[in-house]
Formats: sequence, C-alpha cells, structure tokens
Amino acid sequence: MSRLPPIAGELIDRTRAVEFSFEGRRCTGFAGDSISSALAANGIRVLGRSFKYHRPRGLLSAANHDVNALVQVRAGGRSVPNVRADVVAVQPGWQIEAVNTRGGVSADRLAFINHLSPLLPVGFYYKAFHSRRLFPHWERMFRHLSGLGRVDLSAKREITPKRYDFCDVLVIGGGPSGLAAAIAAAGQGASVLLVDDNAALGGSGLYARSGDAERVHLTQALIERVRADSRIRVLTDTYAAGYYADHWVALVAPECLVKVRARRLVVAQGAWEQPAVFRNNDLPGVMLASAAQRLLYSRAVLTTRRLAVLTANTQGYSAALDALSHGADLAAVLDLRDAPGPRSRAAADELARRSVPLHYGVTPIEATSRSGGTLGGFQFRSARTVAAGTGDVRATKQLEIDGLWMSVGFAPANALLHQAGARMKYQQNLQQFVPAELPAGIYACGKINGVYGLRERIADGTDAGACAAGSLTAGSARPRAPAPMPDESPTHEYPIFPHPRAKEFVDFDEDLQIRDLINACQEGFDSSELLKRFSTVGMGPSQGKHSHMNALRILARVRREPLDELGMTTARPMFYPVPLSHLAGRGFTPERRTPLDAEHAALGAVFMPAGNWRRPEYYAAAGKSRAEAIAAEVEAVRTRVGLIDVGTLGKIEVHGPDAAEFLDRIYTARYANLKVGMTRYALMLDEAGVIIDDGVIGRLAPDSFYFTTTTGNSATLFREFGRLAAWWGLSVGLVNLTGHYAAINLAGPASREVLRAHTRLDLSESAFPYLALREAEVAGAPCRIMRVGFVGELGYEIHLPSEHAASLWRALLATGASAGIRPFGVEAQRMLRLEKGHLIVGQDTDGLTNALEIDAPWALKMDKPFFVGQRSLRILESQPRRQRLVGFTLPTGAPRAPKECHLVLDGADIAGRVTSVGYSPTLQRCIGLALVKPAVAAGQALRIRIDGGALIDAAIAKLPFYDAAGARQRESA
Amino acid sequence: MSAGTALHFEQHTPRPRCGCKGPGAAGWLSSQGYRVPAEPNSAELDPGGVLVARLATSEFLLEPISGSADRVEATRAELTQRRQPVTVYPVTRQDLVVTINGEELNPLLRQICSVDFAPLLAAAVTGGGPVVLTSMVGVGVVAWPRLIEGAVGESSPAVTLWCEPSYAHYFWHTLLEVGRDLGSVTTGSKQ
Repeated sequence: MSRLPPIAGELIDRTRAVEFSFEGRRCTGFAGDSISSALAANGIRVLGRSFKYHRPRGLLSAANHDVNALVQVRAGGRSVPNVRADVVAVQPGWQIEAVNTRGGVSADRLAFINHLSPLLPVGFYYKAFHSRRLFPHWERMFRHLSGLGRVDLSAKREITPKRYDFCDVLVIGGGPSGLAAAIAAAGQGASVLLVDDNAALGGSGLYARSGDAERVHLTQALIERVRADSRIRVLTDTYAAGYYADHWVALVAPECLVKVRARRLVVAQGAWEQPAVFRNNDLPGVMLASAAQRLLYSRAVLTTRRLAVLTANTQGYSAALDALSHGADLAAVLDLRDAPGPRSRAAADELARRSVPLHYGVTPIEATSRSGGTLGGFQFRSARTVAAGTGDVRATKQLEIDGLWMSVGFAPANALLHQAGARMKYQQNLQQFVPAELPAGIYACGKINGVYGLRERIADGTDAGACAAGSLTAGSARPRAPAPMPDESPTHEYPIFPHPRAKEFVDFDEDLQIRDLINACQEGFDSSELLKRFSTVGMGPSQGKHSHMNALRILARVRREPLDELGMTTARPMFYPVPLSHLAGRGFTPERRTPLDAEHAALGAVFMPAGNWRRPEYYAAAGKSRAEAIAAEVEAVRTRVGLIDVGTLGKIEVHGPDAAEFLDRIYTARYANLKVGMTRYALMLDEAGVIIDDGVIGRLAPDSFYFTTTTGNSATLFREFGRLAAWWGLSVGLVNLTGHYAAINLAGPASREVLRAHTRLDLSESAFPYLALREAEVAGAPCRIMRVGFVGELGYEIHLPSEHAASLWRALLATGASAGIRPFGVEAQRMLRLEKGHLIVGQDTDGLTNALEIDAPWALKMDKPFFVGQRSLRILESQPRRQRLVGFTLPTGAPRAPKECHLVLDGADIAGRVTSVGYSPTLQRCIGLALVKPAVAAGQALRIRIDGGALIDAAIAKLPFYDAAGARQRESA
Repeated sequence: MSAGTALHFEQHTPRPRCGCKGPGAAGWLSSQGYRVPAEPNSAELDPGGVLVARLATSEFLLEPISGSADRVEATRAELTQRRQPVTVYPVTRQDLVVTINGEELNPLLRQICSVDFAPLLAAAVTGGGPVVLTSMVGVGVVAWPRLIEGAVGESSPAVTLWCEPSYAHYFWHTLLEVGRDLGSVTTGSKQ
C-alpha cells in the first residue's frame, strides 16, 4: 500500500472513494486522484508499454510532460484513447487499459521486439521505405504494429465550444514566480489571467519542500493573495499549447480551446526536470524526483519502499529529505558531482547526520530489473563515499532498491518563447538556455529565466509582472532587473552514461538510445534540425520535453562544439497533446441562402451546395427520376417557360465619374461606349491573362453601372475591386448588393407573356430589345430587368430587393401556370447553357486557361489602352496556344458517355480533359465541352478514356450546339 | 426578457432601413436633418430615435430604433428615386437585425467573435457610441453595443447586430445554438 496518512495541502478528498479498474483489476482511489496517482496508490507500477520496443514503462514525470502514462479509458459507452493519466482525474466506473499492448500490459506479446533492437537502427523507417518493392510490406507491418491508443470509430462527434478571452497581462504558470507576477501586475491595475496546467496553483512551491515549512507558507500566501484579488482570474487544469502573432495564445482548458489575446505576456512555465541517461533508465520505479514529490504532497502517495536518489543539484537533496520525512527507506544519495554545491551542503550534512550513505563522483552503470520488469537494483561506481564501513570506494556497488529518484537537471519550458521569436543563449554556469532577447510585450521569469531559489523566483516574478503591467501605461515602462547569478548550477553538464549493452534511453517516446543519436550524427545528420528529423528525437507526443537537451548534449560532444553554437529547434504549436475534439470545436461553416429558399423547399427542391450557397439542383417530380425531372425542366424552358433563382450571382453597383473607366480597366470589353439602358458581357482576367470571372454589366446612368459576377467569386472580387479602385485612384463608389438583392431568370418562348401580366413596362422587341436593361415595377416591386440569354431563349433576368422576391416568384408561377411554367434548377440550367456552348468559368476553364483559348475574340477589345491581363495576352498572341475549348457530341443512342474530368487521349498521351458533359434532351444525344491540345482540336474526333479504362470516340462539333444564329434569344426568328 | 433567461434574441428585421455612401453622403445626411457621427465606426441616435451609423469614412446606415419610421422611409424613397446628389450613392439594406441581451451576453460574444466587447459593453450608453465591423460565426456583421431599457425601466447591456440577409438563416440558428449551450434562451420580434 502506497497511500500515506493525510498530508497538509493534499488535493485528494478521502471522504469520496473512487472505484475503477485497470486492465481488469479493481482499484480504489479518491476524488482528486489523477489516474496515475490512483494506480500508484494501488501498487501498480507498470502503466504501459513503450512505443517501439514494448518495454514496460511506469511513472516518469507525474505531470503533463511525458507519454509513459497514456491510457485508454472506457466509460459511459465511450472509449477514449491516449488519456493523459498523469493529469486527468480518475472517475468512478472508469475501465482503464494500457495502450500499445497486445494481450495486456503485463503479458504483452510484442515484448519480444525489445530483443530485436540491434535490427532496428536509427532511421529505420527511412531505410525501410527506401525500397519501392518492399514499401507495401513495411507499410502494412508498421500500420499493424505502431500506434498508441485505439480510436473508437463509432464515437459520435462532440461539439465543443471555442472561446475567446482577453486580458491585459496573461501569466502562464502558477508556480511561485507566476503567482508573484500576477500579483504585481494586478497591483498596477492590470486585468490578469493566470493559467496553470496543474489541478492547483503553487507548482514546485508546494511539492519541493525539503522539510522546510516556510517554503510552503510563502507559496500559500501568494496563492491566497491571488485568490483575493478581483483583478486576477485563474484557470487551472489549463495549458498554453501555442503562441501566435500579436500575443494570441492557445489555451487548452478541460472542456474547450480558449484563444486568449493578451496585451502583455509573462511566461513563468518553469523547467522540466530531466532524466539521467544510463542503461535501463526507463524501468518502472525510476522516476524524476519532482514526480515523486508531486505524488507525495499532492496525493499522499509514496511509490517506493526502498529508494536511492541520483542527483547533481540541491533539488535532489531536497527530495531525499522529503522522502525521509515520510518514512521512506533511503538507501543512498548518489551525487554525480565530486562534492555537494553550496546550496546542497546543509541538506547533505543533515542526511549524513541521519546516517544516509552519500556517494560523490557517481557513475551510473545500470538499473536492473526484477520479475515483472520493474526496478530491482542499481549498479554504480563512485569516487567518494560518506558512510561508515563502505570498503573500496572505487568498486562497483549494487543497491537493492525499488525506487530511484533522478534529479540531475532541468530544461527550461521555453517553447512559447521560441514560438514568439525569442533569442536564447546558453548560460554555462546554469547549463541552461536562458532568454537573451525577448519580443516586445513578452516577459519571462522564474526557472525559465535561470532563477531557481524560491525567494529569488518570487522576486523575479514580481519584477516581471510589474514591468509587464507598467509597460501598458505611457511613461511607466522600465527594463527588467537582471536575474541573480546562481551560486550552484541546478543542471549537470552531461548526465549521460553509455553502456556497452545500450538501452540507455534519451527519448522515451521513440525508444531512442545514445548510440542511435551517435549513429545518426555519423550518418551525416549532425545538425540539431537534421538529427531531430532523422532520428525522430523530440517528435513523439512529449515533443522532446525530456529528450531535447540530452540529445543536444550528445550532438555537441560528437561535433566537439559548444551547445550555444548548435542552437535549438522550435517546438511548434501545439506543444502539448490536444484532444481533436478541442481542435475541431464547434464548426462555423456559413451557408448562404437566397430569399427564395423556402419557396424552393415548398416546391420539392433537391438542394446542392454551390460555393457557400444552397441552391436547388432540381425539383423532384412525382414518378420521375432525377434525370427525368431535369429533362422535363429543360424541356419546359425550350418549349414554354421556366424560372430559376439566380440570386446567388454577385450583384454590384459602381457609381461615380470614373465608373466607366474603372470597368474598362477591370474587364476585357469596352464600357465607356455602353449606352444607358443596355448590357454587355463581361470577362475578367488576372494579370497573366487567365480567365477568372465573367458576368453582365448594365448601365443605369451615365455614371452608374450594375453588374454581376459568378456565384462563388462575389465576395473575393468585391474586395479586389475596392483594392484596385484605391490603387488606381479612381473616383468611384462600390456597393455590394449580392445578399440584399434577389434575382430571377424567367426564360422561354412564353416568358414575355408571363412577365407582361405584372408590369406596365413596354416589353416589345423594339422597346426592350435583346441585351437591354430596364428599371420598372414588376408585381409592385422595384426591379431591374435585363434581357439576357444565358440559356438561349427569350429571357428576362429580374433583379429586385430581396424583401420582394418571394411575392414576385409566386406571382410569376401563378401567372405562368396556364403556359406550363416550371421552376428549374442548377442542373437544367447547366444543360441549357451547354446546348448553347456557353462556358462556366472554373468548370470549363482552369487556373491556367487564358482568354485566347476559349475562342471568344469578340469579348477582347485589345485596342483599349489597358485592361488587366491585356499585356499578357499580347505576349500570348504570338505564341502557340496551349489548349483550346471545343465542343463534342456522341452519336444518338451511344451506350456509354464520358464524365467531367475524363481524359482526352492523343495516342498514349494525355491531350486534354472533358470539362462539361451531359445528355441533351433537346438534341437527343450526349454533348460536351473539352479543353484539348490545339492539334487535337483541329481534328475531327476526340478519343476519351472513360470509367474502367474503355476508350470512346466523340465527334468534334461546332459551337453552339443549339440555335447557332441566336435567333431564339433575340427573338428574331 | 423573462426572469432566469440567460439570453434574449430580438429580431428587428422588418424595420425600414437604408444606407448611402459617397463623398457627398455626410453632407447630404446633415442637410436632411440627421445627426451625423463625426468619426467612422461610431453612431449617433438622434432625438427622433433614428440611428445614423458611420460604417466607414463615407458610408452610412440609417434605421429607426425608436419612434417613427417616417423619416427613414422618406430618405429611402429619395435614394430609390435617385433624388439625392450624384455624389451620394444609395445602398440597399435588407439585413437581418438582431438585438441580444442577457446575463450570458459577454460569454456568448466570446464564443462567436474575436473582438473583446466587455469594455464596450461596460461603457455602453442608450444612444450612439461605437459600432464595430467584425466577423461573428464566420459572417461579417455590424455590431452596436448599447444599453437598452427593460420593462421596468432598468437598463441592461445589449448588442445589436446587422447581418447580410443571405446569411440570416445560418446566423440566426447558429447564434441560438451557441446561446442554448449557455442557458435558457428566449426569442422575439418587433419593429
């Protein structure tokens, strides 16, 4: 039993027992226990298996820093993988299993891989996948063997909120320095947000006690001041996972992702304790001293019966005293240094007084295991021993222990500072990178700054918080006080001890040993960036928190260069594992609807997305298939009358004395000579001459135009128009009416008669000719009516304020009933325009199709002084065409038809692709458009490869397919 | 808004409104008797209850918040019939307009928008004040933080939003969905 009697400050509630199971074994913890602490309290030491070699693994950091303690949790019908056992509170009824095992954590069938490590050299993945022939084999094997938890594919989507938050000063880290920074900043009137990834504030101020009650009192006093200050808000169980520009910080809270915008940022995240690297340093029972202290003081769990402390700093002596004060059998303190440092001496004397053997100049040899794979002993040599009756001090010594606490150094938690662009320098007397230059508005304090003494950390935090808040007030900014010089390094310069039989793990995530990193360097991957990518050091879920510095030390030794010259890699956001549900959050995917949406639904519309709009694809008809319904809609337009909602078109006005000049520059045709009351086709190019949009421009008044853009481009183009107007310095005003105006296209031979019933406007051919624009009331609504012919019939495109759209739609349907009117959808419109050979920008063109390739010279006024893309077209005119848009038909009754994007072949070569295709009810055959090489376009037929690889031939046809003279839309027949 | 309601959403879409822009817009509105805000991104509520919001240097939105709608109707008719100077361009406005208030107003705004409305709401007044052009739930909106009078004379912070009508269905339902996560929600509609 590992649970101790109650300890002051513990986070558990002993009145509330929590029953759960681990790998089928019933366990009991308390409310407030983390999964790890509850398992430790139940005497469970093996929590999982390592990623590559399937070695047994136990507690390492007891914090949010490593992946030894990832588990699968089943509860409430859900199965959640990779739950971080060190920080997630255990709940009643949870069924917990280890991840990455075959057959359970204690009898993992893949444990044999541990013995294959000589066959798995560094860069194994790259080397394995180098062979193209064996690639599928390796892929299958790796996919089968690798991975941590199992994703429950039946899980329902969780809608988690995303939240923004704001503050004057964001303090990240609730240890002594962070607490002090928050108090100081709030003291200057700043609104402060203090976040910490632990369940409670206090950090090491509460768990690194070394028997000194004053340390705890100091920290608790800070916590009480924070709690009492209304300007400080506190978020616990929340970690800062990424820094973004302008002081945006991603906070991962238990329930959601919080995006915080802070005016100033104080980073007080402390330092991650680092493992020593020696043979079998990963055995369960070998853990960081800080982990043992966290468990001891926050959950009253002592994980070991007999232990030793391997140290190189005062923190290790502190941990040894903590262990002694709670009744642990302390076998020895093993100091890597030749003598205790000045801050360690008093503790060393106290330990000696209490007859604890002290060894100095220690060289670890290996940890040894007992049955079950947990720690059973530790072999080492030492240069000096302070204990009676030790014999030959230089002889190899063996301790029989089940716990080894490591405290040999720290790595600063400076990932956020790196992401913010801070420059670091390596400080030799600390053996640590510290900030050399911080971006404006960002402050660091505490261990991250190289300050380790409790009172010094509080002073450093106070200064950082005061500076951060002071800089918010003009004239109050002042530079940071210099950090105190350390009198004892908290970190050993090289706590790495190779062994001839290896298994000295540098990276626990990826099972990387010392020789792996040395071999990677020798293979040429000898910079910090290359070493990381080739060996995968630091690329596991813990992102190098325990491996990065030791890997750099090995690299420095191989290259015989100082650490400062190697530099550090930047750990990019997210720096901690983040649940996908948090990242996905609540999806905001705006969908646009026209004011006629309810009318369509009532008429049985089958909707489809068009850009971000919802449009009727077709209207379902009783007893008719989709194709039949679409064909009936086409037939109605060709023979009677149909109406379609085209309100998704971009609808823009341009006003002002330079309006015509503006349009002349934007579009390829000429608009200065467009008469008031007339419209003209508009083709828009980019600077390279590539077609990017088209529409219709109508002139409302000498200095006012109304024009349309394609559905998907309206928002983008409106922004671009504004940019160009400002750039060119033209006197124009742009108004975007896209969502405020509806548009209905009434088309077909009977359209005039249907419209005439609702307007006093003279609709005769002479008064309202083809391509004319009129403003008039229709069904009582103020409308703009354009006689255009996209579908190739007599037609009127009616634009009006959206509030009147539904009444006009209903009125037209009612009046047209006797004429056989029918609403038609996007699919019918596509076929109608295809019969006319009209292209759709983005479907019949691609990102490289220039205006010379669509065979529409009438749309290009190359004699204008300027339009966007004109210069490129002039260059392209003298060059051979890359492709051409051609029409094609299949014989009537052809059994098979191509689909859009099917390839056109020229022999064995790709000569182009089908861009539009469909069965024309009017022509009773399959027709289409294709972008093909000019040589193929000059021929008689296209060879198209269809589904299944079959080849079919289509005849190249002159465009348009239907009403070549345009008589029907002009009504000149 | 009933007791215990976390959020109340009131639609004002049917209210008449109009807009204008152009180099002569500010002067023309003044000549029409409106109190024109001096700065972009601010609004004035004149004694007749008409809000004049200056959305940019030379773009304006007019809407009768309280009192008669006649003046705005008349101005809209002027613009529709192009009786205004040529330096003033009419802007048709068919927005969805929603006013939101309630205890969870700021938590709601913090889920749907990256602008910090807390200081704006803390400083809000019953007439005029700042207007914010921003994005909420992925949709561009005009937001006017203000104080509104309750049934028994007390005032509470609120924000009125103008949203392009093609987004109205998505915007309205998304706001309600987020709002319901925060507590009980009531809705209403009035001129």
